[in-house]
Amino acid sequence: MKIRPPLIAVLVGISIFLCVFLFYPLAYVFKEALLPGGSFSMAFFRNLLANPIMREAIANSFMLAAVTTLLAALLAIPLALVSVRYTFPAKGLLSGLLLVPMIMPPFVGAIGMRQFLARFGSVNLLLMKIGWIDAPIDWLGAARFWGVAIVMVLHLYPVMYLNIAAALANIDPSLQEAAVNLGSNGRRLFRRVTLPLMIPGLFAGSIIVFIWALTDLGTPLVFEYRRVIPVQIFDRVTDMSSNPEGFALVVLVLALTMLIFLAGKRLFGTRAYETLAKGGARAGEKQPGLAGRILIVTAFAAVVFIALLPHIALVLTSLREKWFMTVLPESCTLSHYRNALGHKLTLPGIRNSIFLSALSTLLDLVLGVSVAYLLVRRRFKGSDILDAIVMLPLAVPGLVLAFGYVGGFAGTMLDPRENPVPLLVIAYAMRRLPYMVRAAYAGFQQVGRTLEEAAMNMGSPVPRMLRRVTMPLISANLIGGGILVFSFAMLEVSDSLILAIKERFFPITKVIYQLLHRIEDGAYVASALGVWAMVFLALSLMTAGVLLGRRMGQLFRA
Amino acid sequence: MVAVSLRAVTKRFGDTVAVDSVCLDIAKGELFFLLGPSGCGKTTILRMIAGFETPDTGEILFDERSVLELPAHRRNTGLVFQNYALWPHMTVEQNVAYGLDERRVPKAEKTERVASALNSVHMGDYARRMPNQLSGGQQQRVALARALVIEPDVVLLDEPLSNLDAQLRLKMRHEIRRIHDETGITMLYVTHDQKESLSMADTIAVMSMGLVEQVGSPRSVYRSPHNRFVADFVGETNLIPGVLSRIEGNRGRVATSIGEFLARVDQTGAAPGDRVLCMVRPECLVINPGTAENRFAAVVRRNVYLGELEQLELEAGDIGVQAVLSNPGEESFRTGKELLAGFKPDDAVILKA
Repeated sequence: MKIRPPLIAVLVGISIFLCVFLFYPLAYVFKEALLPGGSFSMAFFRNLLANPIMREAIANSFMLAAVTTLLAALLAIPLALVSVRYTFPAKGLLSGLLLVPMIMPPFVGAIGMRQFLARFGSVNLLLMKIGWIDAPIDWLGAARFWGVAIVMVLHLYPVMYLNIAAALANIDPSLQEAAVNLGSNGRRLFRRVTLPLMIPGLFAGSIIVFIWALTDLGTPLVFEYRRVIPVQIFDRVTDMSSNPEGFALVVLVLALTMLIFLAGKRLFGTRAYETLAKGGARAGEKQPGLAGRILIVTAFAAVVFIALLPHIALVLTSLREKWFMTVLPESCTLSHYRNALGHKLTLPGIRNSIFLSALSTLLDLVLGVSVAYLLVRRRFKGSDILDAIVMLPLAVPGLVLAFGYVGGFAGTMLDPRENPVPLLVIAYAMRRLPYMVRAAYAGFQQVGRTLEEAAMNMGSPVPRMLRRVTMPLISANLIGGGILVFSFAMLEVSDSLILAIKERFFPITKVIYQLLHRIEDGAYVASALGVWAMVFLALSLMTAGVLLGRRMGQLFRA
Repeated sequence: MVAVSLRAVTKRFGDTVAVDSVCLDIAKGELFFLLGPSGCGKTTILRMIAGFETPDTGEILFDERSVLELPAHRRNTGLVFQNYALWPHMTVEQNVAYGLDERRVPKAEKTERVASALNSVHMGDYARRMPNQLSGGQQQRVALARALVIEPDVVLLDEPLSNLDAQLRLKMRHEIRRIHDETGITMLYVTHDQKESLSMADTIAVMSMGLVEQVGSPRSVYRSPHNRFVADFVGETNLIPGVLSRIEGNRGRVATSIGEFLARVDQTGAAPGDRVLCMVRPECLVINPGTAENRFAAVVRRNVYLGELEQLELEAGDIGVQAVLSNPGEESFRTGKELLAGFKPDDAVILKA
């Protein structure tokens, strides 16, 4: 299909947008880190590695990401295997609940968890009561690492689970039957057939989890675990003009994530065997015996409960009136909710967030629909490149982009220190663009080409054809994707913390962060605000889930 | 309503030539068929006329006016899609009214025209239904009504009956022909079904690999194919190889391994001495002919009795020959029976080998 002038305009517009707001800030960061004063130098990296605090931060971040990935895999593999192989009571509900922690913001969960894991918090008290430990463990001090890791694992294991389950579901049952037919027994079957076929999913999940854990800013910040790369970068935003360490760190993170991401892609590219065989009925999911069923249901329910603990803790914290030396609060109050809404930062924060999120959702809708339309309906030379580029923000941590924005647009009319609104909107939109593109992409694929041709044949020029036929047919996808973008933007952490510098522009997440540190009962008020946020997020995601149906899970796969 | 002409139209997709300098003239009010196997380029021609593809070279004319500069939405063609392409989010009524909305037809007139279009395809009672509540045949009718209601210059039908079951297909053939005769509209109908084209068409263009092999009435395409492809594709046929020995007027004499036959030479362009094929349709064969000119001895290899017909597989020398007898009588043709078969020179055509 020939590309007509209006489409070229759209294409050029998208390219300019991506160049200015994706490639330029990244290039700027690279330039500052590698070309100080115009000549190539690795000096900053040498300084970075010479600094023991930095070395520690880098090591910590790696350990954190590795441990999180490992624990998430250990948790997710059995769940995925069981859910693909067996039927059990309330399977739909439990499998659905299993995914809930993924969409719960770890940032607010961490606030609750911090209370739970306090020196005389619920966990220590409970463990002492049971008699497993004698003295309280200092989760928030020496063992802070594990506190952060636990919150991250509980947040990220569903990503791993989704990817593994998808790989397992793709295995044609006839492959397994063939192995059994050739004489494999259960254990050998797992080792020789199931495991190798599961590995692509395991890898895909691991890559996402690893990058996420490596670059998450909110969780370590709430735990005051400052010796990790993201927090170190965050600390250098304010003095980035005088201290180039931040740039070097950002380049390091970016290089690492890109490397991991590309390695992963390369690996799957050469190993496209997981969907070799197709067709045939799904292997009958087996029904285990009564004991097995009880075991499975209990295990699933337990995982869901544990995974939601941070958020349960958050609710309890927000309700507490007196809570000292007991597992659960002694008495409850709603006053924190009133205080939360009454604080001078709160209402403007909510207003800012809604405004910013709405604008970024709108921007993503326009961009996502245009890109998806070009990709699905107008395959052209280079459309594969466009496809790859719009997926790139998945591999660019929010932290990196925000840092690039602050540096790259300093002194321009977009300077976030003056007015962060345009860049916040763009940052939110850029980060979630891949999801929107995928949602719209799926929509366009479902709408048959001939339905559009029929409209043109009946006399509609392309814009009216899109408005009267295509858009109504893909509206469910667009609304679902839009809600996803909106709710993620409402609870976005790194961009908000870094880009919003003046108080009157604070979005809700930065307000929560500020409350946490500023006032005497900050933690409780922040929790109350976090609960408001969670309720809001849950409602919008439920709506998105209804609209997107099964397709929602696909958005989180690599 | 317009006459549609293609002048040396060529369309390539990558390295394959989908349509190879095709010339066609579709007269005003004609029901014109493009017949050919899948991949022969017939649908590409239809899509070029509708404006969904652009020819690499050549011209497409509506009444001598080039339409190549007109985008699809301004061609005023009514396209009936193979999969119907009814919009699932609109009622039957809204589907049919769509083209009238685009043409800014006043409301009262629109209502009336939609109703009369639906009535003409016997779907008047289904106006408020959604497309997914209709059967395949009903969807087909709605698609037809949608294309007709805008009073297009030409109606384009892309294998419209291929998704229907055999019985419905027969019924819809009559329906479409009736609608054509009532409206007198120019129609271009694309199909690979030779029965459909023979029974419905005013004119048939037989296509193969991007080329138009022959254009003519159903009768001439069936009885006087210009080449082996057309003979094979339109109906069953016997092709007896031989050498053209003499031409006498419009008759040619062919020497074959099972005898010397007289047949029409028509437009085949064969000259004496050429290797040729003597084409004769199975139903033109006569068993135990009187003193017919073209006679040969054969043995029955197989027979299938169908009531109104009887199919015989004969073997003459080393050549297999098919015969179909209408109104078969008491005589039985068991395997191994020896007999004489023959055909009239008028029923046979000489083709280039």
